Amino acid sequence: MGVGREVSISLDGVRDKNIMQLKKLNIALFPVRYNDKYYADALASAEFTKLAYYSDICVGAIACRLEKKEGGGQVRVYIMTLGVLAPYRGLGIGTRLLNHVLDLCSKQNISEVYLHVQTNNEDAINFYKKFEFEITETIQNYYTNITPPDCYVLTRHIAPSTTKK
Amino acid sequence: MGASLPPKEANLFKLIVKSYETKQYKKGLKAADAILKKFPDHGETLSMKGLTLNCMDRKSEAYELVRQGLKNDLKSHVCWHVFGLLYRSDREYREAIKCYRNALRIDPDNIEILRDLSLLQAQMRDLSGFVETRQQLLTLKPNHRMNWIGFSVAHHLNSNGSKAVEILEAYEGTLEKDHPPDNERCEHGEMILYKISLLEECGFLDRALEELRQKETKIVDKLAFKEQEVSLLVKLGHLEEAETIYRILLSMNPDNYSYYEGLQKCAGLYLEDGKYSSDQIDQLVALYETLGQQYKWSSAVKRIPLDFLQGDKFREAAESYIRPLLTKGVPSLFSDLSSLYNHPGKADILEQIILELEHSIRTSSQYPGSTEKESPSTHLWTLFFLAQHYDRRGQYEISLSKIDEAIEHTPTVIDLYSVKSRILKHAGDLNAAAEFADEARRMDLADRYVNSECVKRMLQADQVALAEKIAVLFTKDGDQHNNLHDMQCMWYELASGESFFRQGNLGRALKKFLAVEKHHADITEDQFDFHSYCLRKMTLRMYVEMLKFQDQLHSHAYFHKAAAGAIRSYIKLHDFPPKSTAEEDEHMSNLLPSQKKKMRQKQRKAEARAKKDAEEKNEELNSSAVSKSGKRNVKPVDSDPHGEKLLQVEDPLSEAVKYLKLLQKNSPDSLETHLLSFELYTRKRKILLAFQAVKQLLRLDADHPDSHRCLIKFFHQLGSMSTPVTESEKLIWSVLEAERPTISQLHEKSLFDSNNAFLDNHKDSLMHRAAFTEILYILDSNRKSEAVKLIEESANNIVPRNGAIGPIGEWKLKDCIAVHQLLGTVLVDQDAALRWKVRCAEYFPYSTYFEGRHSSASPNSAFNQLRKNSEKDSPNHSVGNQNVVSTTSNGKAFENLTI
Repeated sequence: MGVGREVSISLDGVRDKNIMQLKKLNIALFPVRYNDKYYADALASAEFTKLAYYSDICVGAIACRLEKKEGGGQVRVYIMTLGVLAPYRGLGIGTRLLNHVLDLCSKQNISEVYLHVQTNNEDAINFYKKFEFEITETIQNYYTNITPPDCYVLTRHIAPSTTKK
Repeated sequence: MGASLPPKEANLFKLIVKSYETKQYKKGLKAADAILKKFPDHGETLSMKGLTLNCMDRKSEAYELVRQGLKNDLKSHVCWHVFGLLYRSDREYREAIKCYRNALRIDPDNIEILRDLSLLQAQMRDLSGFVETRQQLLTLKPNHRMNWIGFSVAHHLNSNGSKAVEILEAYEGTLEKDHPPDNERCEHGEMILYKISLLEECGFLDRALEELRQKETKIVDKLAFKEQEVSLLVKLGHLEEAETIYRILLSMNPDNYSYYEGLQKCAGLYLEDGKYSSDQIDQLVALYETLGQQYKWSSAVKRIPLDFLQGDKFREAAESYIRPLLTKGVPSLFSDLSSLYNHPGKADILEQIILELEHSIRTSSQYPGSTEKESPSTHLWTLFFLAQHYDRRGQYEISLSKIDEAIEHTPTVIDLYSVKSRILKHAGDLNAAAEFADEARRMDLADRYVNSECVKRMLQADQVALAEKIAVLFTKDGDQHNNLHDMQCMWYELASGESFFRQGNLGRALKKFLAVEKHHADITEDQFDFHSYCLRKMTLRMYVEMLKFQDQLHSHAYFHKAAAGAIRSYIKLHDFPPKSTAEEDEHMSNLLPSQKKKMRQKQRKAEARAKKDAEEKNEELNSSAVSKSGKRNVKPVDSDPHGEKLLQVEDPLSEAVKYLKLLQKNSPDSLETHLLSFELYTRKRKILLAFQAVKQLLRLDADHPDSHRCLIKFFHQLGSMSTPVTESEKLIWSVLEAERPTISQLHEKSLFDSNNAFLDNHKDSLMHRAAFTEILYILDSNRKSEAVKLIEESANNIVPRNGAIGPIGEWKLKDCIAVHQLLGTVLVDQDAALRWKVRCAEYFPYSTYFEGRHSSASPNSAFNQLRKNSEKDSPNHSVGNQNVVSTTSNGKAFENLTI
């Protein structure tokens, strides 16, 4: 895994004391600015939002929102953002972040994880497919100020873990 | 005690004493009142009641009762002792000593009083008195260890080391063979080490070494043993033996620089100035090569050779030192190497090394000649180093472009923003510096260091209110002012005081400067408890060291800054006294009656509000304090939070003299001390004292522009004074007449000539030129245009250096600002000042003072553009719940999937 020397990758939670790190990442990574609700959701999701540190430098993050499914009290996870700073890609950091969330889901018996992705973002789509995500829907004109404006919904269903109690 | 009382009351009296000792004050008070009911005039009871009340915060009653008690029973040592204790509690040590002495006259062998007296004598450094008291204590109770030790320490402090040794030896003579018992081994070991340090201090080196080796088994602190041994061996010239010990010490701690230095000294390879011959360098290289193989994990052994290596060898060593640290990501690497920038030529070599590394990493992700891929963060740290390098060299534009590149690469590293803030500060843009320090702070709200750094930058940018708000975040309960004061947070108080001074708010400036002075008084005070504690615990070497530290406490830089700040504030207060109320009324009479009324109302309202706030706060404090401890334990609320009362001193200059005297005593080798002295005494028309200041300046640095300025100004002013009339004036005159020929700068020259000579000697220095022109103008105001021309003719020469990017001018921003002020306020030539400003704006494009094009003072600067953009952006692009997982527009995903 990775190139060059062994460098430790670690994850850390997001708190109001270090939320600026997430903001800095988002400014660098995404063409949109996120509003306060995004950050409130991220904080509320607790363990489901993580910063990734590469030899003590914060280089990536996954931010999720926990949603109640319509009807029953079932919870599902919506991945709001997942990204790694350009120079640090290809080092397994994104995998580490996504696996963290997927593991957490199976531990907490959450059966569904989904997200939106721009239709032309093939790298991302391929990435998620590796983790058994499937395209379940296409939404036209989802984005307001980027092209193409359409997006796919990618969903992954998780079997409840039966191994451990 | 209480002897004159009948048995029942005598018992009650004993109860008072006991209650006092066990802090049961209410109980003691009751007992005292019971006695006083029957014997209302009983002196000792009155005194004890007073002492008890003193501990219950009823000071004035306490003093009254204690005085009354003493008056009723002048022959009682108890009454005198109590009076002494009372004074001691108020830190009136001199008075307290007097009282104790009176008590001892009545009861000369009272151990308790003697002990109390000895503590005060140590505190006040009444050393001969201290020796005497300690001797008495030892005579009275020779079976107490502490009395022997105390007597010895007293002699040591009184500069009689050999006597101190004798006493310790006599004490050792009283000990059994099997001393010490297990539970006293540490203390006994400390005593032996103390004794050996005394022997060393007295120059009995052989004896010290013999003693040390003989008692080795009894010394618990093995490290101190070795360090003491090696120090003695070196002094005795037994270098070979010393070398072995240094090697043992190094194996214990291979990162202690002083051991390496010691080892070099033993090998005859140590020079204070570091200018080694090539032969010596070869030997050093060999030495450190073997050491490096022995201590692979030591960073000192790798770093030290960079100090003595030169040229290509330096380049090679530096590069192999730097590479792994950049890979590892050590943010402090630059400050580790920054001392090398004082060695000629090394900065250029470092620049070449880092540029090569940066180029190689950028193009191939590898160090030159290496096949191993570097991790992405290596590039980041290389840029980070480069930015600091160019900052250090004064090339701010390149420096900022490098740090921006680093931020672009990895925008989440806090150190990058801190360094950017520091570069901007150096470049002269304090507002932008504060802005970036704040950005760094917001990236980790749990980090006190970035918080403090931000506060400091804000104060430097004169954003006091904001700075206070930020500082509050890290104080208890948000009670910032008291808390920072209680914590003796002096950097904050100094920075805040300087800022208030710049803004002309002298009251608050003085408030802060005097607070720092107060802290130093408190620190002096704090040693009191250690006089008894250290003797008991036998930490004697540390104790004596602490006393020596205390003796020169006021020479600390913080105190110097605070005192200088206070003096400058008082001088300014003298030069521009605050408007009296009459003048203010006059000012108001220019307004229309309706306006006047409005203004008055406004003022009144504001005052009332402030008063109410203060009262509420006070009450809150009181209620919470009472509920907690039951007893009133409220800190007095500051009645003068803005230092308005400080402004109302009658004679600011005399206030300033108090602090000047402390500076003269504790910082006699600082130019600033004597500059202030000159300014102060010229204003006070103390001619001889001003002359003394001039002489001190000449002694310290006769070539300094300020020394020259003061010298000529002094004699110029003297020349314009009327001829002496009174006896004392004549006397002063004759002194100066006798002194003038001794000043080589003047000799028989006129002031003009000596001014010219000064310029001839320092033609190329801007600040010397400025001093010359200022004096020229003072001597003859008709030559103003000549003076201005001379300044404008100065050239900002390029510092010669080989092969590096971009020219660096010689001029410093600080100096150019001073020249601008000279042109504007002393020579009063606004056109010239403006021309100067335009010229300097070119040299210092980031300076807000000169409104350089890149500074935050210029509306078109990148800084302000950025700000505008972020303002445009921030009102939430209202993306709402829409989420993007993709990244940049070119479709490159966040993951390249090489798993």
